[in-house]
Amino acid sequence: MMTLLGISPQLLFGQLLIGLINGVFYAMMSLGVAIIFGMLRIGNFVHGAQYMLGAFGAWYLLHLPDLFPGLGLPSLGYWWALALVPFAVGLIGAGMERLFIRRVYDLEHAYGLLLTVGLAMVIEGLFNVGYGAAGQQYNIPDSLKGGVNLGFMFMPYYRLWVIVAGIAVCIATWYTIERTKLGAYLRAATENPDLVRAFGINVPRMLMLTYAFGVGLAGLAGVMAAPIYQVSPQMGQSIIITIFAVVVIGGMGSISGAIFTGLMLGMIEGLTKVFWPQASTTVIFVIMAIVLVFRPAGLFGKETVAAHAADMSTARPDSILENGKLWLVILGVGGAILPFLVYPVFGMKMLCLALFACAYNLIFGYVGLLAFGHAAFYGSSAYIAAYTAASWGFPTEIAILSGVAVATVIGALFGWLAIRRQGLYFAMITLALAQVVYFYAIQAPWTHGEDGIQSVPRGYLLGVIDLSDNMNMYYFVLAIFLIGFAAIYRIVRSPFGQVLKSIRENEPRAISLGYSTERFKLLAFTLSAMLAGLAGGTKAIVFQIASLADVYFMTSTDALLMTLIGGVGTLLGPVVGAVIVVTMQKEFATLGSWVIVVQGTAFVLCVLFLRKGVVGTLEDWLAARAERRRIAAGGEPAAIARGAH
Amino acid sequence: MSAQASLAVRDLQGWYGESKALHGMTFDVARGEVVTLLGRNGAGKTTTLRAIMGLLRKKTGEISFNGENVAARLPEYIARRGIAYCPEERGIFASLTVEENLFLPPVVAEGGMALDDIYALFPNIAERRNSQGTKLSGGEQQMLAIARILRTGATLLLLDEPTEGLAPVIVQQIGAVIRKLKERGFTVLLVEQNVRFASRLADRHYVVEHGHVIDTLTAADVAGDLERIQNYLKV
Amino acid sequence: MSAPDNNQADNIIEARGLTKRFHGFAAVSEVDLDVRRHAIHALIGPNGAGKTTFFNLITKVLQPTEGTIRFNGRDITAESPAAVARRGIVRSFQISAIFPRMTVAENVRIALQRPVGTSFHFWRPESSLDTLNGRVDELLDAVGLLSLRDQTAAGLPYGRKRALELATTLALEPELLLLDEPTSGLGGEDVDRIADLIRKVSANRTILMVEHNLSVVSKLANTITVLARGKVLAEGTYAQISTDQRVIEAYIGGEE
Repeated sequence: MMTLLGISPQLLFGQLLIGLINGVFYAMMSLGVAIIFGMLRIGNFVHGAQYMLGAFGAWYLLHLPDLFPGLGLPSLGYWWALALVPFAVGLIGAGMERLFIRRVYDLEHAYGLLLTVGLAMVIEGLFNVGYGAAGQQYNIPDSLKGGVNLGFMFMPYYRLWVIVAGIAVCIATWYTIERTKLGAYLRAATENPDLVRAFGINVPRMLMLTYAFGVGLAGLAGVMAAPIYQVSPQMGQSIIITIFAVVVIGGMGSISGAIFTGLMLGMIEGLTKVFWPQASTTVIFVIMAIVLVFRPAGLFGKETVAAHAADMSTARPDSILENGKLWLVILGVGGAILPFLVYPVFGMKMLCLALFACAYNLIFGYVGLLAFGHAAFYGSSAYIAAYTAASWGFPTEIAILSGVAVATVIGALFGWLAIRRQGLYFAMITLALAQVVYFYAIQAPWTHGEDGIQSVPRGYLLGVIDLSDNMNMYYFVLAIFLIGFAAIYRIVRSPFGQVLKSIRENEPRAISLGYSTERFKLLAFTLSAMLAGLAGGTKAIVFQIASLADVYFMTSTDALLMTLIGGVGTLLGPVVGAVIVVTMQKEFATLGSWVIVVQGTAFVLCVLFLRKGVVGTLEDWLAARAERRRIAAGGEPAAIARGAH
Repeated sequence: MSAQASLAVRDLQGWYGESKALHGMTFDVARGEVVTLLGRNGAGKTTTLRAIMGLLRKKTGEISFNGENVAARLPEYIARRGIAYCPEERGIFASLTVEENLFLPPVVAEGGMALDDIYALFPNIAERRNSQGTKLSGGEQQMLAIARILRTGATLLLLDEPTEGLAPVIVQQIGAVIRKLKERGFTVLLVEQNVRFASRLADRHYVVEHGHVIDTLTAADVAGDLERIQNYLKV
Repeated sequence: MSAPDNNQADNIIEARGLTKRFHGFAAVSEVDLDVRRHAIHALIGPNGAGKTTFFNLITKVLQPTEGTIRFNGRDITAESPAAVARRGIVRSFQISAIFPRMTVAENVRIALQRPVGTSFHFWRPESSLDTLNGRVDELLDAVGLLSLRDQTAAGLPYGRKRALELATTLALEPELLLLDEPTSGLGGEDVDRIADLIRKVSANRTILMVEHNLSVVSKLANTITVLARGKVLAEGTYAQISTDQRVIEAYIGGEE
């Protein structure tokens, strides 16, 4: 049999076919994400969960008699699912738009992403509770069983159907948007929604229908995917990050670009599986990095007006809660007492995560960039610290510093790639880059895959103090936390911090004053990665393990959630957020998968009702109280009459 | 006049965020009239049109159109009552062809102009119907922006500085168009800085400064005393 | 500074053939403009004439489609906005550009801070910038904001915000100051105050301003360029411009 570069045509075409199938799903999904982003300016992170709903919808219809015994319901097969499920999922999407997403249109883009992250956690968590990690089997419909031998390969009918139907749906969508009257409304509303409303078109309803359509497309993809992949609660989570990367590569503003990029990348992924299997999980993310260097707007993206850093900070600089020196002392004293009140290991977990959240807050709160991949820095540092301590016998403090060094280098590299884009893009890019680290950790032999690096010795501090004693370890961790906390306070209140503040508040003006703002953002991002690395390395020593969970994107989500609950851009917010989240995780630990549901709900509630977080709200309340008292004492209202002209 | 007024604005106050832009605008536009709002940049003319159209959210006061107070209504509702808006920046959609731009605003009532009449009024647009919207010249874009709101059956047209940045010959054409629209019975509320242009078209002028009307002039006033009006605009 | 030459004016800015097209629409078209050193040069014209676009070209916020810009004889056409700012071309904005949640003093200090060279020093305390306080107070005093130095900028009335913006801009000691409608949106007294301020700061400095208020222009500017439809319509002193028939037509509308 003829071979190509030592590879049999069966393997080559087989993988190309799988790649093409994946590409069809990428195209359908990124099409939905691109439409939703274009019209609603929402980075629809819940798209993966909606795709999963589609697959489960098909499975439910098939098992109607088992699910509702005694009602005499029929079992509805694949074709019924294909007809009904996309509408049902679209309807759910419409409901979500109405109830949640509509409320964040007028807010910073970051909130849309955070909201959909929360919704994804809730939906996927609920299915996890119901079905666990195990996948459900869904059989290929009888009418599409079998296949045809093409000579060089065997082509199953179902796969052929998916390719043809998927591409047809993509083309139909493209046609609708680019060539019909309805599409003209959509395109016009994307450009100038106010004017379209002023023509008498109900744009809010159109936004809802657009969202429902994009979601329905995900549902359709889910139904089509059900017989190919396992129907499992996790199926959406793994695909959504890839979809975000596809969207970044394709660029916004081009429907055909999204379709083409999706198909292309699926095939490239398939080819990589043939020639360099280890790289196949990361190839899309690496391509994304390369595209970002040479074409920041994406392959088909139109030049967009640069969005600038967003001021999401909720802090009042003059509040007593922002007095770093005071709180350093209070946290020091409180931290010293803590191990007598709670189990020291629990205290250490709190401190590590609080430091992690503080590090994250440096970039999210103080610079206004929604980074979404801090797990990469936290986790890589954990791995390096664990490995150097366990395998090379590094002293504890050197092991942690090694981890910090690696996290800093990765941070500088990722920052350099991501800082070219702003807003939602920045989030998608950091998320995708972090996935590279995650997949590397899955495959590299030295990280021991699912097991992680275990039994890391805690060692002796400075060769003297035995850290295997929990109290000794605790005070060491407390010292590290306080150093990190003080460092962040110093960074924020330094000449450099002043420039960061100016960038956050008015980036065009900062540029006009002569600041090359990207360099400042890059340094801040690198410092943030470094401190996240400090938290991760310390955590690996405390718990004597570095595992995949540390580099998984849920860890990035934790940092976000802690910062959000506590108060973005406040001094104490991340600490308070860490205490709340860690306590919550401990209290709900017995509930298993419900923890994810609870965390997702917390996300949603925070975005909708507590955007200032606990500390931000408290600072507002204190300021309002002080003002009331001053006026009661006969003082003048502080605010000068606002200029009216 | 108020009895048959098509549009009556009473004590309209409006804000952009925290800054107040309208300080009690009060004026009328009777059915079939062409009325201008004159005034310097930043006087609140555009804001007034946006408020009438429902695009300015934070506002108080009364905007009654054909007897119905629409001040609290959404833009899509107001449009369907028969008010059409041609914004200052023209708002031609770049991703739409000329024809798609033209057909975008839905018909809200009977009695809109027929397509042939529109093309007769704007021959350039007929020629370039398949071009991309923003490939048109500034003048053609302005024509298109006006043309597309004539089909819909709206009776009150809000035109925001239709002559801005255009060559005199185009300004003349637009003047001729507005005159024809008046003949056809459209009511027009025009925002202008080009006084001479406005003075040849309008039945009445309201001079706006600092978000309220400081003077009302009839066409006769202006014809007799162009100086007076120029003084308002020139400082 | 180039050698004095009686035949050739000492120009700080020389723009040649400057053109900017958006989607094929030329907002600025083949504009030649010289700005003499130490002049107060006003750019006027009806709405949509391309004044703000031209401004954005000079400060490199927009990249010209065609043409070159020379600053002190050096071609700056390809430079970034921040680099141009560091050369000494500093602009103000039409919408007041302040840092709303910083104090009045911090707003000015952020501009003074860059030349100190510690802007990347994340390990230094903020108090290392206290040496700038004297200069901050001088600048605030010059614009009449000294008594409000510790207020948050967001709480200032609009006129005061414009004054603060001007103080911040002046802190950079710009060789060329670009003012985009410095009096827009201001009431009578505020207009006079800002106009006085501009005159005061014009010593040893070149100012290029876009301005709608012609009385301000007539009081301040020694050269006026009138733009219309993206092109230069006329140039000269206020007396020359105000009697120019083409200018009058452009402003109040041409004969039909």
